[in-house]
Amino acid sequence: MQFKDQLGFIAQHMKRNKLRMATTILAATMGCAFLIVLASVGFGLHKTLSDDILENRTVTKIEVPGKKDSEDAITVQEAEAMREIPHVKAVAERSRPQAEGEARLGERSAYADLVFVQFENEEKAGLALSEGAMPSAEGEVLVGYHFASSLLIREERDNTTEGKELDGFAGSLIGQTFEIELKPYEGEGEPVVREFMVAGVTEEPAKDWMMDSSIYADESWSKTIAESLGTEETPHEVLVYADELQYVEGITEKLKRDGYYVYSVTEELGSMNMFFTLLKAGLIFVGTIAILIASIGIFNTMTMAVTERTREIGVMKAIGAQPKLIQRLFLMESAAIGIIGTFLAVIIAYGISMLANWLVPMIVMSSLDEEEMGDFNLLISVIPWQLVAISSAISIGVAMVSGWRPARKATQINVIQALRQEL
Amino acid sequence: MIEINTLSHSFAIGKKGNERKIPVLEEITLHVKQGEIAAILGKSGSGKSTLLNILAGFMAPESGMVAVGGQEISSLNESAMANFRLKNFGFIFQSFQLMPALNAFENIELPLKIKGIKAPERKAAVEKIMAEVGLSAVAGHYPNELSGGQQQRVSIARALITKPPVILADEPTGSLDSETEQEILDLIRSLNRDLGVTFVIITHDDEVAGIAHRQYRLHDGKLAKGTQRHAI
Repeated sequence: MQFKDQLGFIAQHMKRNKLRMATTILAATMGCAFLIVLASVGFGLHKTLSDDILENRTVTKIEVPGKKDSEDAITVQEAEAMREIPHVKAVAERSRPQAEGEARLGERSAYADLVFVQFENEEKAGLALSEGAMPSAEGEVLVGYHFASSLLIREERDNTTEGKELDGFAGSLIGQTFEIELKPYEGEGEPVVREFMVAGVTEEPAKDWMMDSSIYADESWSKTIAESLGTEETPHEVLVYADELQYVEGITEKLKRDGYYVYSVTEELGSMNMFFTLLKAGLIFVGTIAILIASIGIFNTMTMAVTERTREIGVMKAIGAQPKLIQRLFLMESAAIGIIGTFLAVIIAYGISMLANWLVPMIVMSSLDEEEMGDFNLLISVIPWQLVAISSAISIGVAMVSGWRPARKATQINVIQALRQEL
Repeated sequence: MIEINTLSHSFAIGKKGNERKIPVLEEITLHVKQGEIAAILGKSGSGKSTLLNILAGFMAPESGMVAVGGQEISSLNESAMANFRLKNFGFIFQSFQLMPALNAFENIELPLKIKGIKAPERKAAVEKIMAEVGLSAVAGHYPNELSGGQQQRVSIARALITKPPVILADEPTGSLDSETEQEILDLIRSLNRDLGVTFVIITHDDEVAGIAHRQYRLHDGKLAKGTQRHAI
């Protein structure tokens, strides 16, 4: 029998018992929709928290503070070796003086977070400017986007405690010369004062709450200033940047194997992913129970179908239908219940998911202050294609397993007894 | 065409472990030539239906040999037997055995669907045979909308649609009035004459057996003496 004719055959039989089929399909739909919606909560919460973590930091950045078996700083050669790791976009080395700093511009002053960097590598890593240019001459520096607003006069500092809005330095800093006074954290060393000129201002950080008031000077200053302060050069902190987020985990693992202390976003996500994987598996398991309950309905429907059609099965066998064909027709019928039920369930589940994502955050917002929520994007339910695929496979698989025994029973029908049945 | 040699069969009755065997067919030997109409006559309980069931492969005989077209069928497994039936047998039943959910056209078409014939070929074949058995006007009618004679014509058309060499008919006129019975017998005769199909008819009715070229009379599971035989 051709496949098209088999489909026509089962469609004809399903139409004969519309009500029974409709209720069985409804049960399969409810079971599958319950599974999808339940598991979608796990996926939703996972996505909400992952997105929150990923949005709040540079996701392709891997911090390498030092070596596991040595207190020595990471050498230039070792940093060079890191650059050779596949999918590493850039390796930036940073250090800070062992001193507390104050930046002064005219009557304005600010806390000075002086960072020694390699501008070439920082540029490769994605450091961008909002105005000005990269330092090209000795004594030129970059300042963070918020550096200007952190330069305050005495009155403004006093107002800070009163909670008033502050403007800081107004106008462009480009070409402005300011001085930094550095006082060593330890020892009796004299404070060191150096003058720098602002060549550029970094780009505004992606998130509103991130502040960048640092002063970025070329790493050649590190040794000079350490000598002037009478302190030692601080070991370099190395930052490795991956091409894309998907390569961060591989690079992190490689660096760990090479004996470095490493911290990246994947480390943070790793334990959370493990928790949510277990949660999602648990939710899918609980949802599958609903499908198993629905499968009892499919089993009953198919058993009744076989009993009702005993005579017809007998006739088909008498005129030459193979037992395998009879079995296939009944299996296809139970699969059809599963497929239709799953299709409807997916549509319903998406509807419920959209409704939940619209309604639940509204309820949460109404019970919390807007400030408490901030820009926190709460997704209560997410249905990825993987969940649809898993649920469909479970639902259709269970439907076919439910129909398997009745289908086997159909093949075992005795032709003589079947033909004796009254109409 | 059909050879049955020393065929015996019995049914076990009674509880398991305490069964008793009742012989229903004993040492049956008969032959049917191609293009013949053979009638197997007998009263109720004579074993004629059992003989038909064995011949059709619905059950296996206890002993003896059954061959159709040179193929011994008692050795075939269920799947091979189904295939053999599809190619070699057409069936006409006393109670027509039509599918209630299918109309006359679809009922006749069913064996072709099972055989895997494509729709355009099926349509042409069904329309042709419906015209031959005089059913063209009721093609879209369901079994409950047809008279007994029409239903049996549908059953005959369904049996013939795959062009099998043998038609097995179990009391083909048993549910019909005498006028319709004559119509059906005339149809069987003409199909045998025109198409050369071999018919094996199981009946208790001498009038039905009258159309046969060869008659076998069964009595208590044995082929009775005085079985009438005549050539085509």
